Order: sequence, then C-alpha cells, then structure tokens
Amino acid sequence: MVKIGSNRVTIGIAGAGGDGVVVLGSFFQKIAASCGYYSAMPRYYGAQIRGGGSAVKLSLDAERFSIPKDTLDILVCFNWDKYLEFTTELQQSQDTIVIYEYDPPQGIKLPAASFKIDFSTKSEETTESPKNKNLVALGLLAKIVGLPEKYIKQTIKDNHALGLLKDKMTAFEEGERLFTELSIPELSLPVPVSDVSKIILHGSAAMARAAIRAGCKSFFGYPITPAAEIMQEMQEKLPQQEGTFVQAEDEIASAGMVVGASLSGVKAMTSTSGPGLDLMTEMMGLAASAEIPMLIVDVQRCGPSTGIPSKSEQSDLNHAVYGGHGDAPRVVMAPYDLEGCYRLIIEGFNIAYGFQTVVIMLSDQWLGQTMVAVDDTFLHEKYQIVETVKPDSTAQEQYCRYQLGEDFISPMAAAGDEGLTYQATGLTHNTCGAPAFDFETQQMMHEKRWQKLMPLCQRDDLVKVFGAEESGKGIISWGSSAQVVLEVVRDLDLLEQVKVCIPELLYPLPDKLARFVASTEMLLIIEMNFSGQIHRLLRSNIDLPEKTVVYNRTGGHPFSKQELVASIRGLIQ
Amino acid sequence: MTTTPKYRTGLKPIWCPGCGNFAILSAITRNLLPDLEIPNHRVFIVSGIGCSSRMPAYINTYGMNSLHGRALAIAQGAKLSKPELTVIAIGGDGDLFSIGAGHLPHVVRRNVDITCIMVNNFVYALTKGQVSPTTPHLLRGEGPFLSMKYYPPVDPMLDMVSFSFSTRASFIAQGTTHDIPHLTQLIRQGVLHRGFSYISVLTPCVTFNPPELLSTIKERARYLQEGEMINLPSGSTEEPWIHNPRDIDLALKLAQFSLLEEPLLGVFFKGDEI
Repeated sequence: MVKIGSNRVTIGIAGAGGDGVVVLGSFFQKIAASCGYYSAMPRYYGAQIRGGGSAVKLSLDAERFSIPKDTLDILVCFNWDKYLEFTTELQQSQDTIVIYEYDPPQGIKLPAASFKIDFSTKSEETTESPKNKNLVALGLLAKIVGLPEKYIKQTIKDNHALGLLKDKMTAFEEGERLFTELSIPELSLPVPVSDVSKIILHGSAAMARAAIRAGCKSFFGYPITPAAEIMQEMQEKLPQQEGTFVQAEDEIASAGMVVGASLSGVKAMTSTSGPGLDLMTEMMGLAASAEIPMLIVDVQRCGPSTGIPSKSEQSDLNHAVYGGHGDAPRVVMAPYDLEGCYRLIIEGFNIAYGFQTVVIMLSDQWLGQTMVAVDDTFLHEKYQIVETVKPDSTAQEQYCRYQLGEDFISPMAAAGDEGLTYQATGLTHNTCGAPAFDFETQQMMHEKRWQKLMPLCQRDDLVKVFGAEESGKGIISWGSSAQVVLEVVRDLDLLEQVKVCIPELLYPLPDKLARFVASTEMLLIIEMNFSGQIHRLLRSNIDLPEKTVVYNRTGGHPFSKQELVASIRGLIQ
Repeated sequence: MTTTPKYRTGLKPIWCPGCGNFAILSAITRNLLPDLEIPNHRVFIVSGIGCSSRMPAYINTYGMNSLHGRALAIAQGAKLSKPELTVIAIGGDGDLFSIGAGHLPHVVRRNVDITCIMVNNFVYALTKGQVSPTTPHLLRGEGPFLSMKYYPPVDPMLDMVSFSFSTRASFIAQGTTHDIPHLTQLIRQGVLHRGFSYISVLTPCVTFNPPELLSTIKERARYLQEGEMINLPSGSTEEPWIHNPRDIDLALKLAQFSLLEEPLLGVFFKGDEI
C-alpha cells in the first residue's frame, strides 16, 4: 500500500459515449463535495455528437480550490482508442495508477500500478446490466482516494442527483470490494480543512444565476458550443421569475431582442460564442450609438471561423474591444474564476444599465464548462444592484433623451413611461434624439458616449493583484489562463518575489492596470491566442517596460503548469 | 386639414413630395392612433433602414429607427418583455424582404402580437433606385412596370403576400397609399388582432418608379369584402368563391393572384388569436 500525503489528487476518466464517463466524474465530484473537498472537473469531448470520445479530469483538493495537475494520479480507461484522443489532456506518468477494462493497443506502456478490471462483467454480475460499470469504478475510486464512508452513504441517501446510484448500490459496493481484493494502492487524501459541503457549478451556470440575481427578466439566445449552457440555465430559471425566454432564429435577432427589451426598461441579456459575436456586432454598434444597455456573454472557443468549437481560446478580445465600424465605445470584462463569473455578471448588468452601454463579458470554454466545487459564500454576499437613471416626467416641458449632464449619462425613459416619449435611432442624433448631420453634433455625441465610460477606469476593484507589491517583476494574465498562472506562482512559492495582475475589466483600460505596469521593470504577459491580443492592447495604450516578455499560443489544449513554469521562472532569474 | 399634434413630432419628413409614406404617416397619426385612443406612451414603433423606416421619427410615441432588416427582432424584444405596449414594426420591401427576410417566418410562428407594416414601393429608394426583391421581373421597357432608367432585375420578384400565407401569418392584409381610409382600417384591424399581423402596403416611389406602375395597380385593384364574390383569376375554371378571411384554403388560392395583373386589396386571412 502506497500512501501519498498530498492535499490533491487528479483523476482522469476516458471512454466512449455510453461508457458513463461524465456521470462517473460528476457522481464522484458530488460525493467529494459533500465531504468538503474542493474540486475542478474540466470536460473534454471530440467533434462527434455521439460515439465520439469523452473524457473528464477531476482534481480534488482538501485545502483550497486548485486546478488539475498536468499528470494524472489515477486513470480510469474504458476505451483506449478514445483515450488516445485525449493524451495531451490526460497525461500519465510512471506513478499513475491505471485501471482499465481492455488490454491497451501496442505502443501504450502501462505504469507499474496498472489493474485490468472487467467492469462490464462486474456490473452484469451485480446489477444484471453491463451499463453500470461506471458505478463499479465509482466504488473503487472512492476507496482509492479514501473518501470518508459516513459521508458517502449519507450523500447517496440525501442527494437527489445521485438517485441512479441509490438503486445500484450493489455495483458501487462491488467496486469497493475490488479495491481490497486487488490490493490497489491508496492515495488517501487528508480530511478536508472544512467539512462544509461545497457547491458545484460551472461558470456558465454561475453566470445564469447571477443574471437573475441582477434582475435580468429577459433572455434571448441562439444555440452555440460552448455557450449553450447559459441559455439552458436561463430557459429553466427565467420562467420561475416570470421572465421571458426566447430561442431566437439567429444571433442577430437575439441581440436585437435585447435592444428591444432594454428600450422597454427590462433588463435583458444574451450569450454566445465567437461566431455569434460576429453576428451581434451590428447591434453592438446600434446599442452604443443609441446608448441602450446590452449585456453579451461570449464564451470563447478556438477561432477563426468555426475553429474548434469545443476547446478554449482567448482570441475574441480584439473583436470585443474593437469590433464593428465607426467608433462604438463598449465595456469589456473577463472573469477568471467561478466567483468572478457570478460577481462580474452582476457588475456587468450594473455597468450596462447604469452607464447605458454595451458590456461584453468574455468567458471561455474552460471557465464556462469546467464543473467547480467551492464554498458557496459568494452566492450569499450582498451585491449592489444598479438601475438605469430615469427622468422625472414632471420636471420638464419636453424630455430630451440625450441631454448632457456632468457625468454624460442622460436619464433614460422606458417605452411605456408616461410623458417621456422619444425616438431612438442609430443615426447621429442631437441631445433630443433627433437625427443630425453636422460635424458639431457628431463630435459632441462621440465625446458624450466615450466620456461617460471614463469613471470606470478608476474601478480598482476590477483589477486583482496578488503577490509582492514592491516587486518590480510582474505578470499580467486574464481569463481562465490567469488561473493556471496563479497556481504555478503559488506552486513555485513565488508570491514573495513576483506580483500577478489579473484585470477583470479590460476595456476601457483601468488606471490600476497602467499603474501596475508602471511599477514593473520586468513584465511577463501570458495569454491563449496566437497574435498576443492583450499584449497589443496594452502596448497601444501604455508604455511597457523594455523587458517585456509575452508567452502566448493558440488554444486547443489548456495551459499546463509545466508549460508556464519556464517563462515564470525566467522572470525571477 | 392641420396635423394632429398629439401624435406628430415636430420633425419635418425628408420624403419626396408626393411620396406614399406621407399617406401612411397620416393614416397612423391622424386616424389610427386617435381612433384607438391609445396614449402616446403606450405605443412603440420600430423601423429598419429605408425611406419608410424614417417614420418613427415623425410619430410622437416611443420609437426607434433601428438597423436595416432588424425591426422585427427589436419589436419582439420589446413586446415580449413589456406586453402592455402596442408594438408596430415598419419597413420597406428591401428591409423586411431582403436583408431582414430571415426573421419573418420566425416572428410569424411565434405569433407575437406585433403589427408589421411592410411598405412596398418596389425599389431601393434611399440608395437611389436599385432593384429590390419586389421589383417587377420584366425586361427593360417591357410593360408599364419597369423604369427605363435602370437595369432590370435578373431574378423573379418575391410575392410577399404569398410568402405570408405560406408561413401562416395569423393576419394578412394588403392596402395602398391611394386609399388612406381603407389602409387605416386594415392597420386598425391588424393592431386589434391579438397575434402577428402582416400588412402589405403598395405605394409609389415617385422618384424611382415609372408612374405607370402604381397607376396600373390602382386601376386593376379589386377590393376583397367578406361575404362577397371574388372574381376568379383569368383563365380559371373553378367556381367563384365567397370571400371568407377565416378560410385558409381560400387564402392559399388568393395567394395565386398575380400582384401586378390582378392585385387584391383587403383582409386576405385572419387566423387564430393568442
């Protein structure tokens, strides 16, 4: 029996569609979360709808939230052909415990601790169906990791989502028995620092919940990978709030419907991925021009064009910041963790409806689809909810929709408000909204629309800085890449020597980000896109230190920690 | 007759003198809205881009002159989010039937309670005379329908009323700007119909249509009246029909009348309300 006293364990599961890979991962995550373990479970899937490969990587942590290790501690393989589609994501080492159903093809060298188990037969013997082989594996995994027995039984009893398991406990127990019979090594995790049950959500679900919390009453969307989860969550949740849900005919329509809802004073949003953002771009321009609140979530995937729909990339930043003709101001934000997905959607609504502007929230496939188990405190925090400033209908003879004030934000009437009718337009318009075709108005309205967003630059709270503030060695990363960066810096114990800046507000460029850059002598920028989009954005706005290094590559697989170690070490040498 | 200030903004329309859009503006602001007594603030009129799409700026209700082809998307967002609004979408033939055509079947199947006024002047007028999906498909100089000044269309015209039948819009009517009282009645019925109403308005473009186009349509047009006999299309061997706007089979037959040869005006079909 080998015991490893690590706080973390990373398990890979691979198989074909129908092997129950995702169910196995989810059940295990649920049981572990109820014991108090933190976890992250990214999903990997191929291009086929059915019959393709399916894999998950589940990492448990007894102490804090962490991302999966590069190499697996345990691999459960139901199908080697399918495993071969995910060798980058599910790397083995010689220390990996491998549990497999069929003999591997030539060329796959199994580590010492490898065990062949005929899961299908064991399932058949115990449940009269080979389909429950994932539950046999579940019982086995629970033993290897040493999940506390009392929690397992209690969780299976209480958790509605584990109903399937309740009826098939014989399969689960068979797995537990196999553990003893085959003398499989134990990778006992320590008892979690807190046994408070963790909540399990992916970023897209957190965003949907936050939208409702922020007062979103209308959702319009069009199915697209990997953003469909937000739409599905809203489809389920909005009717309970007496809200409106429409699956539109395309992304042009879904963005247009958001404009219509906002004009009538109802908070609305849409979600999409890169190709959909392309189609929404004309509406973004209209909303910017007519100052209509609009929140768009872009769950980024590999581009250009159709790219790799199921895999993460951070290559829509340029489009979010610059996309569209004319000078159309907008706000671009990007969460980097689950809590941020929740908090920033509320913030995004506040900014969109408070500033009457377009807000593009850049999520990505990793953030959107990785199932994360963490403390649920962020769900219970108090958040300020901002409403659009309304005009006083009794105070004026004629309501001027775009009247200039000190903060350039003009009170906005909603269609239906008595005595305040106005006509919005994407034509250049004067302060009363009437079309105008002269230079002075054109210049003045641009100044109004851009100036009103400037106070956002002072939102220091939307720029996270970790590590040694006095250090001249800085790292900037954003979105889900920042998770890996932070983790590597922590793993290497470098928080005393470097500082990490993660801007959640990307545009307009926050002052705090500029101050961070100014305080560094050496700067490392890490992002997952081919052309170095945030690097170029920063470079075009801020003087970067002479010693600026960029580590960037396309998406296609997540950053591994090993991959980032060299560049991060390079910074301190 | 003076304008009705209650429903007009102070803006002066940019349309050419004699443009049919004046008739539609008049139908809405002098007749429709005062007759229905809908308060200004309860109405939302949204348009796309084109001559007729300038309409909302001249009507003192909530309004929006939005993007080319997208009026119906915005109209749906508003109506579904705030059902108490009376929502009217206005656009031209290029706007609603070319660039925005993809939205039409979907708003029809959702049967959202919006009145869609499709202003058909058979041409792209704002961009100065290019062919639209409804420009008559005739050779240069052939018949009265095509201007000698411009290249003829290479593709056949889309019949928007037929299209609306095929997608089963729940209220379908056609009027002309030559007959404002009749047009007002059609729009009024469309607004009162709880469901998606499609109203085709045949109108001259005084600048880019040959003058014969609308005058010929006007000459040949026949009014549909519920309970009255419909003269059959020439060459038809069927028995004459009595018009019944609730009869979809009859409506599908009416769809086969040629707009240019035998234009029909009135309510073609009135289906189930929501």
